[in-house]
Amino acid sequence: MAVGDRADQANELPQSFLTKDAFRELFGVLAACGYTIVGPRVDQEAIVYGELESPDDLPIGWTDEQAPGEYRLKKREDEKTFGFAVGPHSWKQFLFPPQSRLLTANKEDGTWQFTNNDEPPPRYAFLGVRACELAAIHVQDRVFMGDNYVDPIYAARRTGALLIAVNCTEAAPTCFCTSMNTGPRCSGGYDLVLTELDDGYVLEAGTQVGAEILSELETTTATETHLASAETARQEAIDQIERRFNTDDIRDLLLNNLDHHQWDDVAERCLSCTNCTMVCPTCFCSSVEQVSDLTVEEVEHQRVWDSCFNFDFSYMHGGGIRGTIRSRYRQWLTHKLGSWIDQFGTSGCVGCGRCITWCPVGIDLTQEVDAIRKSPKEPTGPQPDETL
Amino acid sequence: MDDQALKTTLRSLQFSAGFPGDVIRQLAAISSTHEIDAGDTLFREGDLHEKLYLLVSGKVALKMLVPGRGEVCLLTVGLGEFLGWSGFLQQTAMTATAVATEDSKLVATPTRQLNDLCEANPSFGLQLTRRVAQALSRRLLATRLQLLDLFGDTPMAPPSNDPQLGRG
Amino acid sequence: MELPRSNLDLSPGAACRTNSLANGLPGPWDVQTVSIGDIRPELSDVATYDLEFVDAEFAERYELQPGQFNMLYVPGVGEAAISVSDDPLRIPRDGRIRHTIRSVGRVTGTIADMQVGDTLGLRGPFGQAWPMEECADRDVILVAGGLGLAPLRPVIYSLLAQPEKFGRLHLLYGTRSPDSLVFDKEYDAWKKQGLRVQSTVDRATPGWRGDVGVVTSLLNTLREFDPQNTTLFSCGPEIMMKFTMLMAIERGIPVERLWLSMERNMQCAVGFCGHCQLGPAFVCKDGPVFRYDYISQFMNIGGL
Repeated sequence: MAVGDRADQANELPQSFLTKDAFRELFGVLAACGYTIVGPRVDQEAIVYGELESPDDLPIGWTDEQAPGEYRLKKREDEKTFGFAVGPHSWKQFLFPPQSRLLTANKEDGTWQFTNNDEPPPRYAFLGVRACELAAIHVQDRVFMGDNYVDPIYAARRTGALLIAVNCTEAAPTCFCTSMNTGPRCSGGYDLVLTELDDGYVLEAGTQVGAEILSELETTTATETHLASAETARQEAIDQIERRFNTDDIRDLLLNNLDHHQWDDVAERCLSCTNCTMVCPTCFCSSVEQVSDLTVEEVEHQRVWDSCFNFDFSYMHGGGIRGTIRSRYRQWLTHKLGSWIDQFGTSGCVGCGRCITWCPVGIDLTQEVDAIRKSPKEPTGPQPDETL
Repeated sequence: MDDQALKTTLRSLQFSAGFPGDVIRQLAAISSTHEIDAGDTLFREGDLHEKLYLLVSGKVALKMLVPGRGEVCLLTVGLGEFLGWSGFLQQTAMTATAVATEDSKLVATPTRQLNDLCEANPSFGLQLTRRVAQALSRRLLATRLQLLDLFGDTPMAPPSNDPQLGRG
Repeated sequence: MELPRSNLDLSPGAACRTNSLANGLPGPWDVQTVSIGDIRPELSDVATYDLEFVDAEFAERYELQPGQFNMLYVPGVGEAAISVSDDPLRIPRDGRIRHTIRSVGRVTGTIADMQVGDTLGLRGPFGQAWPMEECADRDVILVAGGLGLAPLRPVIYSLLAQPEKFGRLHLLYGTRSPDSLVFDKEYDAWKKQGLRVQSTVDRATPGWRGDVGVVTSLLNTLREFDPQNTTLFSCGPEIMMKFTMLMAIERGIPVERLWLSMERNMQCAVGFCGHCQLGPAFVCKDGPVFRYDYISQFMNIGGL
């Protein structure tokens, strides 16, 4: 859905206004409904996502300055709560935890018994989900719940998660959601969506669940002035987006250029550090590990985050298949922007720009693709089928 | 086997199937058929054996004598494949001993006459040499695959000192 | 305008489901306890294990297609993807599944030290099967290398169970040396039931009277099949399969009738962990059996 398409639809739905004070009540309402509130907070010199106990935990008056390979926290001149882009965290750590127990194996009378993890999942309310992040959640929905097998851990956390979205009112230089058709305006998939103004929030419900929450808050009907201010604020975000990414035929462009010299070029710079995969909101690679007690009679079968950049990721008896940084970077990029479309029907990239910001050497995937696009089908060296 | 039958045979074998009519005719004119029983030796390693063979039926094993190991069988030649190119390439001696492992029938072509034919008719010579080169290339590939020891024990030691690795 | 109930579309036509049961499948992480019923040594580092389900009810429901695999779980060590090497018809009858396992890593090495009666975990079956329907009324050539014969053995059993449904049946088998011919005690029985078996070794040992050379050469010289009406399945080291496919094409077999079984690092077996990807294909769920014309574009690129 293109940016702004929803604008007409949105104007048909009643929009409400919440003062800054009344907004604080949201926390009480969510807690009473049994939600654990997760949202942005300042920690470790960045705006990260964590549990919020009160509205004071939010990063009021903070913003971020981002560039390839750079992130700085900066104090704002105003008291905007959501006046920043995105930080190193994404919501995937709550739906697809970095470490989770799949099942437990217990040895009883010499025989192994296996029990699935049936711990009741936490009930999360995500406060402050950006449009690109909504898109990312939907991308992971397709991965974990959209095929024959459904991941029970993701499914348990996802169904029942409350998504309170926030429309961006500014953009970082690294953002390119407009090129990926994912934002900056939230167009669906949320329970509630807020647009921050100086004196409060314009909000509307996206689902009946959201409408129920809304009805518990002290709202007034949004006035024409409110709506105009909200529109201006959202337009700010669109105007601030500088980065443009041409994604025409990107799947074929990448898969037809697997021998391009650009892969050698980027391999000179890439450290294979896995930062990009950790901050990417859609990356889903994991590994399975064993954690056992001393007698190896009670063993946990655990799933932990992994990355295709790790040397042993493709390991098979004898050695790794992707032994060079060149082949690992190629795997990540061609998967994210190309083969993901074959696999799940959408791109794996939502244009959030995190990988550009958090790459220690500032590799910009949009520029890597542009370089290939400028000179496609330029293989290096001998083709793999030579028999001499 | 008469000339006509020989031509038919040559047309049915992979090595010679694609040759134009006049090449087949000329080949048939100087070739003959040869039958051997299982266990018979076709030629010996080190011999000067001036015949090129195409296998029409049966199987022939190629062996080399390795001091300390005895006769080692390297390859079994089957239907449509060729043997004894050393004479055609005017090399000095056969590089292996050929022993039939089944009753076999072959088309035999004397290499001296074959080379004369190539000299007299360069176009014929080119086509024949090309086909020999292709067959040798295929034999080389097959040898490489044997050399790669694809079914052998894990050739590379996995980097097993790293506790993160070695997942089964 | 009516608002949707929740932020996740779980309506019948939508892409997402809340659990695998909605798709008629067990949970991806559901592990069954199996005990080792019998161990048959095959080669110095290969043995066949009969694994018996402790839950008899589950055994009755377990359905295997030839070419599928199970994840065998040794708690504390890990899981390994092992192809089932059994007769699909026999499994529900006996409640046991046969796996032929080579000891190559920590998990398979631990299994190699196990005794009859020991238990382990089993998840499965997973993966796309050999398309047996492609064999009906056709000549069938199976080209196997090394332990690649194990995932093809279920195909052999299925073919020989109803030979009248198929044309001429060939097994071309290549391995390292005469002492690594696996399942050799069954070849005579298979020949009697109508499978033409040819074997070859890379290196002969004294006393070996059989063929010497790569298995692709057996395909090169094979008669008794109609290339236009033949289906070929291959399993073995990737290079061997690649050259088998090229040889098959040279022999005139249409490229849509060529199938092979691929192998990659597998951990989840259900397309979640990402390890087994080869280009866009997840070897665990889009494979391990692939049609050659699809997978060849990715197979032939180094380090993909």
